[in-house]
Amino acid sequence: MPAFDYSASPDPIRDDLADAHRAAWAHIAAPGAWLTGAERVAVAAETRKARDCALCAKRKAALSSFSDPEPHAARAPLSSALVDAIHRATTDAARLTRKWYEGLAAQGVTDERYVEALGVAVIAISVDGFHRALGLPLEPLPTPLRGDPSRARPDGLVRERGWVPMIDPDRVGAAESDLYLVDGKLRAANVIRALTLAPNEVRAWRDLAGAQYLTLERMMQLDTGRALDRAQMELVAGRVSALNACFY
Amino acid sequence: MLRASVEANEGEVDLRAISDGARDEAAGVAHAAQLCAFAETALRGDAAALADARDALRAKAGSAALVEAAAVIGNFERMTRIADATGIALDATSELASSDFRAELGLETFASAGNTPPAPLWRRLLRPLLAPLARRAMARFLRG
Repeated sequence: MPAFDYSASPDPIRDDLADAHRAAWAHIAAPGAWLTGAERVAVAAETRKARDCALCAKRKAALSSFSDPEPHAARAPLSSALVDAIHRATTDAARLTRKWYEGLAAQGVTDERYVEALGVAVIAISVDGFHRALGLPLEPLPTPLRGDPSRARPDGLVRERGWVPMIDPDRVGAAESDLYLVDGKLRAANVIRALTLAPNEVRAWRDLAGAQYLTLERMMQLDTGRALDRAQMELVAGRVSALNACFY
Repeated sequence: MLRASVEANEGEVDLRAISDGARDEAAGVAHAAQLCAFAETALRGDAAALADARDALRAKAGSAALVEAAAVIGNFERMTRIADATGIALDATSELASSDFRAELGLETFASAGNTPPAPLWRRLLRPLLAPLARRAMARFLRG
């Protein structure tokens, strides 16, 4: 059976959604800039394990998510610190702090590896979230592709809009000039900047969002071209954000 | 963006649907109650309640709307984590446009609110003037 075969779904699913999900899985499987394909697929797997993780549940119920010093166990090929970061981002992202983030470097989680892992994790969470909402079985994770990470670091990085370095739109290099251009205009909202340390994660984010929500071009229009109007989409978006305690 | 999208059509919306959910159509958005219930049950993971919410939304709005809503849920499961796990602050226009309802809806009690520093004094002083302009700019932006 091909990946993301939605033919048995009781509710017809657009072909471009299936295409976007297949592309997302292919993106996860391929070596990135700082993680191997095996590490990227392992990151996606951890987002699933986090949902049933006893330690995450214990932390979630605690007044402070940092009161329990017990670490998550390392699970090859991922270090304990990276497993912990993925679990926290999956189950309790709203209570992450700058102090916590700044402690990751001493545990071997560089800015680059963190941002790329986060980019992979949120893709898996997003696709799985769609499946869970519709009551569809989760797609098996892809087989990792061999190859070395490119170790490509973009130009024009600054650390001023959040915890992680992001590309300054005024200093963006030619190779990343597409990241901030929408219909030929510069659009650099903070959520677009957030993952620019790993440019291919931003590109994957845009492609998936274009199918699951709206393309950046469509986000600037009232007409969605979809079965939900813009207000209905934004109501769902806002309710999900509130339930996740996301201020942004 | 919810308010901007409704105001762009010269409608009114009850933003408490964001924080409290919608129990009827009073939120000013078609099928608001079913859409909110679907989002809530999808995130809470109660399979039976989620199946009921799916049936209710499908019956009211149709299969295509149900699929779109599931896709938007998936999308914002991602967006919220990107924002919170990178510590980004609200953009200035959004900060201004939402200044009148953030406290009322309890959004400022979220831990991640700490990622947005207090607005500079000049912006706080000019907020009564600037906030309506920011709201209108967002609605005009959507109207094209």
